[in-house]
Amino acid sequence: MKITRHEAKRIADLAHLAFDEPALDRMAAEMTKILTYIDQLAEVEVEANEGQASACPTPLRDDVITSRPADPARNAPEWDNGYFVVPKVIGE
Amino acid sequence: MSDLVGAAIRAIAELNPRLNAVLRVNESAPAGTPIAIKDNIVTTDMPTTCGSRILPDFVSPFDATAVARLRGAGWSIVAKTNLDEFAMGSSTEHSAFGVTRNPWNLDCVAGGSSGGSAAAVAAGMVPAALGSETGGSVRQPAAFCGVVGLKPTYGRVSRNGLVAFASGLDQIGIVTRTVRQCAELLGVIAGRDPFDSTSSAAPVDEYAADVDAGVRGLRFGVVREAVEKLEGEVGANFDAALGVLRAGGATVEDASVPTIGYAIAIYYIVANAEASANLSRFDGVRYGHRARAATLKDLYFRSRGEGFGDEVKRRIMLGTFALSAGYYDSYYGRAQAVRERMRGDFAEAFRRFDYLLTPTTPEAAFRIGAKTGDPLSMYLSDIFTAPANLVGIPAIAVPSGFSRQRLPLSLQIMAPHFGERALFRAAGYFERETGYWRESPPPHITPPDRA
Repeated sequence: MKITRHEAKRIADLAHLAFDEPALDRMAAEMTKILTYIDQLAEVEVEANEGQASACPTPLRDDVITSRPADPARNAPEWDNGYFVVPKVIGE
Repeated sequence: MSDLVGAAIRAIAELNPRLNAVLRVNESAPAGTPIAIKDNIVTTDMPTTCGSRILPDFVSPFDATAVARLRGAGWSIVAKTNLDEFAMGSSTEHSAFGVTRNPWNLDCVAGGSSGGSAAAVAAGMVPAALGSETGGSVRQPAAFCGVVGLKPTYGRVSRNGLVAFASGLDQIGIVTRTVRQCAELLGVIAGRDPFDSTSSAAPVDEYAADVDAGVRGLRFGVVREAVEKLEGEVGANFDAALGVLRAGGATVEDASVPTIGYAIAIYYIVANAEASANLSRFDGVRYGHRARAATLKDLYFRSRGEGFGDEVKRRIMLGTFALSAGYYDSYYGRAQAVRERMRGDFAEAFRRFDYLLTPTTPEAAFRIGAKTGDPLSMYLSDIFTAPANLVGIPAIAVPSGFSRQRLPLSLQIMAPHFGERALFRAAGYFERETGYWRESPPPHITPPDRA
């Protein structure tokens, strides 16, 4: 699978990652090499719905709050009076 | 402070400048049996960095469940150990805080991603350490450093407080010098935890009960597809290990897991897909590094661009690609389908055999820098270890001798789900017969009071 610079840029935007141009080219080349190796999975004949469901059902619990008290301000980069502070969102 | 804790802190102070195995020491650790914890497992009394610049000063408001259970059983958390950033790597060269060196040869890697934990135990800084596994990150560095490394069954140990990489594969593991220590530690940290819905309610076993029971009558399968291309000293060492098992009265025959060769291809889709979702939480808003930015979107892009290292970005990119529109079925869907096939192959093999065997790694520890320019060759270091993570079974790495350069080699033993007690039985026999656990790294790296 060949990853072009254009494709790498599209994926970086989806992933919220900033790259400069040389880094983007390098990333596209590395992804191409790795995905070419991964393409050997196409050799295996699988059923249409194989792997779609796990043998073990996902365990669920009742939707009740069990989390412990934490102090979110302690690790927050910017905090004001009970809120995380971020740059302007509306009007971007 | 107990003598043991003081000795551990002194050994770290003496040896760490050469090894860089430890990122942080708790100088005021309480009395107890000292243990080191990989720095992607949260502790309230030391920061947790995940080896990343994106978490420069994060201190968890709670202890990981495994850590809390250790404290409750009299263990003292003396240090946090180095790792590949977010546990993504096989050499600890991807740590933002520098490479961990191999105690047996300082020019070689300690393996990874739990390289700090393995090197710390091998050098005698601490008798035991916790690591974490997603594709071999405890067993591979344990192999490279000549110590015992366990990946428990998926769900055997709570993941609460282990910073998530790939939630469907992640499992806290154990590094020790001996099999018995490893079995006893598993008994401490294993068990159901309401804070991890994937933790199993299966009863916690007497894991060390059969360590001395021997292997007479047990059936070992050699995974033919994995070992047929083995050559050189790793091949010869593996053959010698099979001889040790036969001499103990075990049967050793060829087993077949036809899909095992696809493990790395499956792994780098499934693990990275989960990683791309799990690491979206590191965005500069609630904790960790925040870049200067005028808009929220800029804040996300720049905080992540500045905070994550190259390998983490590469994996987020691959995972995002595998989940993106147009590629989901052909990459993620197919990888999960082949994984399902592999799970079936293992189940079939375990109908005939109590255990499956491979070497832990295809080679001994490589030189620092040898693989950093070629991510794919680094990934292939985990070719024998990743299958156990993909199918969820327990596996143990136990020292099996040395290469001509006197670098450790290692035997991997795999067992069916929740077969840890049986795993320790086989590993205990092998360890006792071979005695490699008594060997120490060169004297310039080992403290005189190593137990």
